[in-house]
Amino acid sequence: MAQPDSQEIGDATTAVHSQPDSKTRRYDRQLRLWAASGQSALESSRTLVISASATSTSILKNLVLPGIGHFTLLDADAVSPADAGNNFFLNGYSSIGKNKAEEAVPLLTELNESVDGKAEVKPIDEVLQTDEGRNWVKSFSLVIAHNLSQDTLDTLSKLLWDGLGNPPLIVVRSAGFLADFFIQFHEQCIIEPHSETFPSLRLTRPFPALAEWANSTDYDKLDPTEHAHIPFPIILVKATEKWKAEHDGQLPKVYAEKQAFKAAIRDLQKKMDEENFDEAEAQAWRISGEVPVPSEIKSLFALTPLVPASSSSSTNGSSVSEQSNAAFHTLLQTLKLFVESPEGPGCLPLTSTLPDMHTDTESYVRLQRMYKEQAGKEAALFKKILKANFPDTPVDDGMVDLFVKNTHHVNVLRGKRWGAWEEDKSAVASSLESDPRETATHLALSALSNLQSKGIDVTADALRADILTRLPPNTELPEEMTNAVGELERSPTADVPNTAAFLGGMIAQEAIKMITKQYVPVKGYCVVDLVESWTGVVGA
Amino acid sequence: MNGNSTSSDWDGRYFHVDQILDKPGPRTDPSFLAGDGVKDFLRNQCKILVIGAGGLGCEILANLALSGFKDIHVIDMDTIDISNLNRQFLFRQKDVGKPKATVAAEFIMNRVPGVQVTPYYGKIQDKDEDYYMQFNLVVCGLDSVEARRWINATLVNMVDPENPESLKPLIDGGTEGFKGQARVILPTVSSCYECSLDMLNKPTAFPICTIANTPRLPEHCIEWASVLEWPRVFGDKKLDTDDPEHIGWLFNHALKRAKEFKIEGVTWSLTQGVVKNIIPAIASTNAIIAASCCNEAFKIATSSAAYLNNYFMLIGTDGVYSYTFEHEQRKDCPVCGGESLDISIKKDWTVERLIEMLVEKQDIQIKKPSLSTPTKQIYLQAPPQLEQATRPNLEKKVSELVEDGGDITVTAASLPFNLSLRIKYI
Repeated sequence: MAQPDSQEIGDATTAVHSQPDSKTRRYDRQLRLWAASGQSALESSRTLVISASATSTSILKNLVLPGIGHFTLLDADAVSPADAGNNFFLNGYSSIGKNKAEEAVPLLTELNESVDGKAEVKPIDEVLQTDEGRNWVKSFSLVIAHNLSQDTLDTLSKLLWDGLGNPPLIVVRSAGFLADFFIQFHEQCIIEPHSETFPSLRLTRPFPALAEWANSTDYDKLDPTEHAHIPFPIILVKATEKWKAEHDGQLPKVYAEKQAFKAAIRDLQKKMDEENFDEAEAQAWRISGEVPVPSEIKSLFALTPLVPASSSSSTNGSSVSEQSNAAFHTLLQTLKLFVESPEGPGCLPLTSTLPDMHTDTESYVRLQRMYKEQAGKEAALFKKILKANFPDTPVDDGMVDLFVKNTHHVNVLRGKRWGAWEEDKSAVASSLESDPRETATHLALSALSNLQSKGIDVTADALRADILTRLPPNTELPEEMTNAVGELERSPTADVPNTAAFLGGMIAQEAIKMITKQYVPVKGYCVVDLVESWTGVVGA
Repeated sequence: MNGNSTSSDWDGRYFHVDQILDKPGPRTDPSFLAGDGVKDFLRNQCKILVIGAGGLGCEILANLALSGFKDIHVIDMDTIDISNLNRQFLFRQKDVGKPKATVAAEFIMNRVPGVQVTPYYGKIQDKDEDYYMQFNLVVCGLDSVEARRWINATLVNMVDPENPESLKPLIDGGTEGFKGQARVILPTVSSCYECSLDMLNKPTAFPICTIANTPRLPEHCIEWASVLEWPRVFGDKKLDTDDPEHIGWLFNHALKRAKEFKIEGVTWSLTQGVVKNIIPAIASTNAIIAASCCNEAFKIATSSAAYLNNYFMLIGTDGVYSYTFEHEQRKDCPVCGGESLDISIKKDWTVERLIEMLVEKQDIQIKKPSLSTPTKQIYLQAPPQLEQATRPNLEKKVSELVEDGGDITVTAASLPFNLSLRIKYI
C-alpha cells in the first residue's frame, strides 16, 4: 500500500474545520462536563471569599483554574509563621508579616490569566457596619466564608438572607480532621441537571408519526434482515398497542403481567440471535415507567414562585439570579399549561435524544428525525403557550429551548437560612438519634465556634456544656459525641493541609454547581470526618 | 525541631499539623507516639513515592509537602499539554511540552522550602524492586488501569513475610468528572487493586460490524475513521492521538462518512474524545481525592489516627454522596489471593472460545492472552513462529488439551503477573 507523506495529512486538516482555539483546548476536560453554557456562567460570576486561610485559598485555587470571572479575597490580617507553613498560596517564610490576602492573590491569579482577582485589606466586621460595605458584599454572585467568628457569621448570614436577590453564602467551618459546610440560598433552579436516565420515549402514547410507523410494520412481510433490524421502540409501541387491545386498554401492571408482556416480545423472535428483540425485552420496563408527568415534576408545578412573575419584567432592583429564577418559574407554569393543553400531547414535551439501539443506519436516522421533528413541533407549541399566557415576560429563547429539552429532569431546590435548623431543638435531637456521628460533629463544631467567639478555653467539658444548651433538656449525648468533642479539643485551631485541600475541592464543587445550575448542590449541613474518612448530610 | 527561624524552617511553621501530632484523639491507636518522635519520623526519615504528576499528582505533591513529608519522589512519563492547565496547577503555559515530573518537583521545592522532591521522567516499569523497596509508602494518582495493575502486582510480589519493611502501603486515587475514589491497599493483607477490577466501568466498545456497516452514532463514524480507514490508507503508520494533524484527518473522514449516512454530531472535540478515550476531569474533584489520599498517607506515616479501611467513594453530581466501606479481599485474586481462579466451561468449547470469554471477563481484563499448561503450550500470541505453531490449537476443544480440574496459565503483555485458571467442565 502506498504510504502518503505527511503533506497529504496536512492538506486534509486544513479543510473547513481545524483544531479548536487555545481557550477551548485549555478547558477541554471541563467543557465535556458543563459545556459552553456552564463555562460562560462561571466566567460571569464574581465570588467573595472571606478570610485568606489555607482552606480559603484551596477553594479559590479550584475556582480560578476552571476560570471564574472575578474573585475578591478579604482579609485584614498579616501572615503568621503558622500561615506561612500551611498555606500553599503564600511565599513561605518571606510572606510572614505581610498582608495575607495581598500575598495570596497574585499566587492565585497566576494560575489562570483570564481570572481577575483582588485583595481587600479590611476586617469583615468593619465592612458589615456600613451601608456601603453591606451593599458591596451583596454585589457578588457568591460569598464564601471560612471559620468566621459566630457573631460575624450571624450578621453576614442575616444580611444575605434578607433579600431574594442576594448572593448565596457558603459557610465553611473546620478544625483538625473535622469540618462542615452549609449553603445558604433561597432558591436554586436547575435547568440542565445532567441526569443519567433517558427521558420518556413516548412509547405508551406514541405521537402520530411513530404510531404510523408501528402500525405499518408487518412482522410477517419483512425479510429476515429487516426483521432483525426493527428498532426496539417500534417493537415496544406495537407490543403495547396489542397488549392494550387485549386488556381493556390497560398497560401491564403487576409482576406477572410484566413477565407476560416480555414473553410476548420474546415470542416475536424469528431467530435466536435477533438482538433488537432482546433489546426490546430488556427495555420493556419503560412501558410501566412512562407517566405523563413524573411526580418530581408535578411537585414543582405546585410551587409558588418566590418572586411574583409580574415583578420580574421590571429589571429594576432585581438581581440576575432573581430574574433567571423568575423566568424559570414562568417556564414551569408554561409547562403545566402545556401538559393541560388540548393541543398538546397531554404529557411533558418530547426530547429528541435517542439512545443507541440495534438497527440499521437508515431506520435509526429515520427514527431520530421523527423524534426531532415532533420535539420541534412541541417546542413550538410550548413557545406559543408561553407567549399567549405571559406576553409581558421576556424569556431568553436559548433558555426556553434548554428548559424544553430538560423538562423531565429540571429541579428547584429551596434552601434555608444559616442556623434556622438549630432553632428547632427537637429536630436536632431526633437527628442526633438517627444520624449520631454527623449530628454530633456538626454540634461540636457549633460549640467550638461559640467558645472561640467568647474567648472561652476549648476543653471537652466546655464543648459538652455548650452542646447541651443546643438540645432539649436532659438529652443524652451519644458515644459519637465523645469522638467529635475529643477531636476538637485536640486540634481546636488547626487548619491542616489535607483537610483544607479536601474542603477546597468540596466547596469549589458546590460553588460550581451553584453558579452553573447544571448539577445539584448539597442541601443542609455536609459534615466531614477525615479520621474515618466519611461525609454525611444533616439538617436538609 | 529546635528554635531556629530560617527561610527553610521557622518556629511555628507546623503549628497546625502539630496540634494533631502533639496529642492523640479519642480514636487514636495507643501505639501513637505523640510529639517529637513522630515528627522526626515524618520530617526526617519517611520516604514517600508519588506515582503520577498529573491531575491528582500535582495536588498530592503539594499536600504531602505542606503536611511535612520532606523526602518525596515522583514518577511520571508524560509531558505537559495545554489541556492539563485547567487542573494541574503546578504547570503554566510556558511549561507546555516539558516533563511533568520535573516541572512539578521544581515548583514544589520553590514554594515549600526544605522539601526535597526527586523527579523521574519515565515509566514505572523502568524501575525494579530495589527501587520500590526504599520507600515507606506509595501514593498513586494515575489514569491508567494498566499502570495501576503493574504497581499493585509489583508491591504485592515484594512482600516478604519475614521482613515487615517489605510491605509498602499503597494509596490509590482516581477521578472522573464529579466522581472519584480513594483507597488504602496493604499488599497481601487487604483487598488489592486486582481484587476490585470488576468494579471498573466496562469501556464502551462498538461492535466492528456496526462500525463497518450500520453506523448510527457520530461515535461509530469516528471509530470507522480510526479503526478501519486509517490503517487502510496509511498501513502500518501509527496513529498519534496527540498529533492535531492526525486528529484532523480522522475528524474530516468521520465527518464525510457521517454526511454520507446522514448522521449528525461529529465534531472535533468528540473525535478527540473518542479516539483518546478522554475522561472529563476538573480541579475540584482531583483536590478532594488527592486530599483524601494524602490524609491516609499522613495517618499511616504518623499513626495519629486510624487509616481508611479501605475504600472511599464519592459522587458529587447530585448533592454530596459518599460511601466508605471495606472492599473484601478475593481469595481467588490472581495477584494477592494465592488460589487459582475457577473457570467453568462447556466440554465442547474450543480454545478460541475460551480466549474470547477471557477477553470479555470484567474481573480479568486482558487483551491478547497466551495460554499454556504446566506441560505444554496451548496458544501463544508471540513470537510469530510460536503463534503459527500453536494456531491449530485454537480450533481444538479445550477438553482435549486440559483434563477436568487441570490448570491453565494465562500470560499477556499487558498483564504484570501470570494468571492461573482451574478449568472445570460443565
